[in-house]
Amino acid sequence: MSKLTTVEPFGDGFVSALCPELMLFAGMLLLILIPNLGRGTFRIPGTQLRLPWLLGGTRFKFTSDPRLPAWIASITLGGAFLNVLYIFSQGLERVSIVSESGKELLLVNGFSRIFELIFFGALALAAFSSMNRLQVKGIGSKVTEQELYNNRRQADFYILMVTCALGMSVVALAQDLFVLFIGLELASFSTYVLVAFLKESKVGVESGMKYFIVGSVASGVGLYGLSMLYLWAGSLQFTVLAATFAESGTTALPLIGIGFVLVGFGFKVSAAPFHFAAPDAYAGATSPVAGVLATASKAMGMIGLVRMLLIVAAPESSDGSAVWLVCLGAMAAITMTWGNLAALGSDNPKRMLAYSSVAHAGYMLAALTAVGAWNWDAAVSGDASAAAVAVMTALLFHLVVLVAFKLGAFLVLSILESEGGASRLSSLGGLAKREPLLAVAMFIFMISLAGVPPMAGFLSKLLVIMGIVRVAVGDMGAEIADGGIYALGDMHWVWWLALLMVINSAISVFYYLRVVVVMFFEEPEEGREGPLPNGWQVRVAILACVLTTVLVGIAGDSLIRLCEMAAQSLNYNW
Amino acid sequence: MQDWISMPLVGFPLVASIVLLAFVSNTNESMRKRLSDPIRMASLLFSLILLTFTTGMFFQYFGNVSWEGISFNNYEFTHRYTWIESLGIHWTVGLDALSFPMVWLTTFLLPVTIIATWNEKNGAVYFPILLAMGGALIGVFVALDLFMFYGFWELTLIPMFFLILKWGGKDRKYASQKFFIYTFTASVVMLLGLITLYFFQDPVNPLQYAGSMTGRTFDIPTITQHALMENSNGNWYLGANIQKVLFAMLMLGFLVKLPAVPFHTWLPDAHVQAPTGGSMLLAGVMLKMGAYGMFRLPISLFPHALQYFQFVLMTIGMVSLVWGAIVCLGQTNLKKMVAYSSVSHMGVILIGIATMQPMGWAAALFMMFAHGIISPMLFAVCGAFKHHYHSMEIGAMRGMAKHSPWLATSMMFAWMASLGLPLLAGFVAELMMLIALWYFLVAEGWSVFWMVGPALVLAVTAAYYLWSMQRTIFEGGDETQPPTSLDGEPIPDIANPEKLAMIILALFTIVFGVMPWIALDMMHDWTIQIFEGLILPILGGFNGGA
Repeated sequence: MSKLTTVEPFGDGFVSALCPELMLFAGMLLLILIPNLGRGTFRIPGTQLRLPWLLGGTRFKFTSDPRLPAWIASITLGGAFLNVLYIFSQGLERVSIVSESGKELLLVNGFSRIFELIFFGALALAAFSSMNRLQVKGIGSKVTEQELYNNRRQADFYILMVTCALGMSVVALAQDLFVLFIGLELASFSTYVLVAFLKESKVGVESGMKYFIVGSVASGVGLYGLSMLYLWAGSLQFTVLAATFAESGTTALPLIGIGFVLVGFGFKVSAAPFHFAAPDAYAGATSPVAGVLATASKAMGMIGLVRMLLIVAAPESSDGSAVWLVCLGAMAAITMTWGNLAALGSDNPKRMLAYSSVAHAGYMLAALTAVGAWNWDAAVSGDASAAAVAVMTALLFHLVVLVAFKLGAFLVLSILESEGGASRLSSLGGLAKREPLLAVAMFIFMISLAGVPPMAGFLSKLLVIMGIVRVAVGDMGAEIADGGIYALGDMHWVWWLALLMVINSAISVFYYLRVVVVMFFEEPEEGREGPLPNGWQVRVAILACVLTTVLVGIAGDSLIRLCEMAAQSLNYNW
Repeated sequence: MQDWISMPLVGFPLVASIVLLAFVSNTNESMRKRLSDPIRMASLLFSLILLTFTTGMFFQYFGNVSWEGISFNNYEFTHRYTWIESLGIHWTVGLDALSFPMVWLTTFLLPVTIIATWNEKNGAVYFPILLAMGGALIGVFVALDLFMFYGFWELTLIPMFFLILKWGGKDRKYASQKFFIYTFTASVVMLLGLITLYFFQDPVNPLQYAGSMTGRTFDIPTITQHALMENSNGNWYLGANIQKVLFAMLMLGFLVKLPAVPFHTWLPDAHVQAPTGGSMLLAGVMLKMGAYGMFRLPISLFPHALQYFQFVLMTIGMVSLVWGAIVCLGQTNLKKMVAYSSVSHMGVILIGIATMQPMGWAAALFMMFAHGIISPMLFAVCGAFKHHYHSMEIGAMRGMAKHSPWLATSMMFAWMASLGLPLLAGFVAELMMLIALWYFLVAEGWSVFWMVGPALVLAVTAAYYLWSMQRTIFEGGDETQPPTSLDGEPIPDIANPEKLAMIILALFTIVFGVMPWIALDMMHDWTIQIFEGLILPILGGFNGGA
């Protein structure tokens, strides 16, 4: 474990520690500034002298290109992503950003870095492939006022993408519930607008509205819980909260407060029963945005859950088995089953993917439950801390690779969407004939989601199941070798979550295969024959997703180690 | 020693298929049509190279390995590469007398399948998929690492799914999905069993090839070695309760794949809808994955549990045997009848396993092998029937002996081989199974009424095969009454490539019927080894005909 350095805001080392975030900030400023550069002039009052002012007025040819914001956002997000990768290759450092009054605000460590990787990767891919998705009309020819307005508006879209990434990484860094909440709201409000961005389509506005209202209620409940926690502990610092919880955590006030905070995060990860807005939001949003909701936004919610459940209401403060264990286990079971069953019945591929992401949330909650049980019985869970790290590694690994195949699937739908809708399964019909390589890519994403080897989805599901089973079994093997007698019932009950998970994976194959069957078996819909709309950017993004899915599936060792490093840095009790 | 397995046997067909598929993926239809000829030739060439390889291995040309007398849990051509070090996952390959016949069978069936379905439509894609199927199947048999084993186990589903989906019959959509979901469900339960087994290893004693993160290993030889030590000390490996649970979980995956009644319902659908080539590989090799897996994992690791579940397995085997045969009687669809006869024959394998006798096991192994040659011939006949008469109904074509002598002869031969005519391969296995069963019943004091099942099935099998032959080959040789499904077209006989495939299959059925020891010797050696090492210590001195 590297040494912890403490840095004051804007002190030494501040820039190097928060370099990716500062890059985003700079990119955001550029996004506001550059598209507004033009031949604007400023008249000195009282004179006829006009000085070139460069802001406003007739735009330069370069700055009037409606694709410019997309490029700036992609380069910013991609640069931040590469920066994080570079930091990983240079070895991690732990930097704590502490306010003048000594409060720890942000903590940069492996855990936050891996989430930055997820957020920036997902948003960079989404921004890059949105270039084809948002319609650009009338370049070069005469531009109507409406078209000009639409083109100008594109800058807003990409600014929101960057602010979304910024808010998410603040969530990952936050060491204070209040800072975390600010980041959460920054990211949430960006996603509300991103979902409703296509205001020309009724679906978009409706789903944006719905997502906004439900999300606000969830945030409000979370905020209420936060204030209860403040009332109880007198602080919102995670360290203080955790220490106070260890003393007097099992009283009503903190438990209710934590429960309320969990509602807020439960909505973000779309855990049942807070998932109702998710399918509508995914179906109404443009596909790249829906992909961001299903990957990066979910990872952000997961951070909240991890911080609240594993750091504040830590299992070790209540003898190994956390107070929330049964509750979360039930939630995991309900979420994965509900998501899968609902996905079976949906004909809209985006809703189907939304429900499948609910199911995936269930798998992740199951992993979280297993972490909560890490030290369940001192007699048999000998190397428990390693088991806890293993489950956490699996969770992080799952979140990372999810970006590749979940977002990839949404990007494939995005191409169909720019052709005029991907709201029915039949719009995928005949994809194998129309564009074989795209169909193969979608096939890879689908079987990866279903967890079929040798794709990354299999490895991640395997790791999660392995983690759960490891916690459940503990050191029984060694005990048996020494003559102990154990039965199935002696394992911790989280083992049954693993069983439910594999059964659910089997159910999920139904709807993933249905997509494959439609692509390879059915004829294209009328008016949809022939090649799909062009757009090399989205295809490049899909290619990146396919390569990640396959390569990580075949050789995932280094990524597993990366995630293990990140998991170890989360909690020093392990 | 040179690694003769990883690249030459597993990687080569998979890579070749991916390269060929990538080559045709961006071509239009007419180009694809023109490409199908060279790609077919290339696929045939590749598969023949594979066959040469495995045959060379058999004749000790490569590696100079004697296949007879390989002891239990010893493997030839072993190679181990680190794959995912943190979890203890290695790319481990190796062959023993259990897996080598299956690998040879796969490489033997690949070229035969290509020849038998020489004129399959959209050949530029079809033949590479066959190659991929072969590579994945070989991967299952050579894998000596649980992760790798499971990976290839699931990988075989993908090419087969596409074979059924793209080249299948009318209900191919339903059949392919049912096939995939049914077997996938069983194998994820098996996966959980494997993982639970993985974590029940004792991490305190340093394990060979253990993962740095978990302290356990996926390495099959290492796990088998530990299990063997525990079991032969008189203890149950992992304790009685856990062993039973894990045995049941693993067996579920293998029983569905085998398939055994009541998990067999995917098989008739898959077979009826699958194209001929798919059926040949499905029946010939893919079903054997189930029996192979049983020997490799649950039986080798949990012999106590095997004894505990002996009655259950014997019952399932007997029910499969009888039920499959009786259902055959009622079939009007030729392919469905053959599919159910496969269920019946897989029952023979299960009974052989349940006897816990070296001879019963050798019978099971030889049945896997013999059925792997006979059933492709059955399906090749069915495919030719369908191809030429556009119908699978048994009554659709009568008097075939007159119209299509080649097809009639092949059918008769295949049917006879399948019902166990002496001097053909199937007979050897069935006879051995009957002897082993008889011996077992007497020695263990079980009721002799268990023999009623096989005896009944002998009669029923003869009945359905002879009856279907009577209705297709002989009856009503009136040339004025061609099959209605032909719409008055002239009645053709089978094409030359099909004839060639039939001849090859028939030839090998005879070869292994007359000289079964070619394959049987190594199998019998292996079963005696595993019996003495594994079962005898449990049975406590009882020498079951070793």
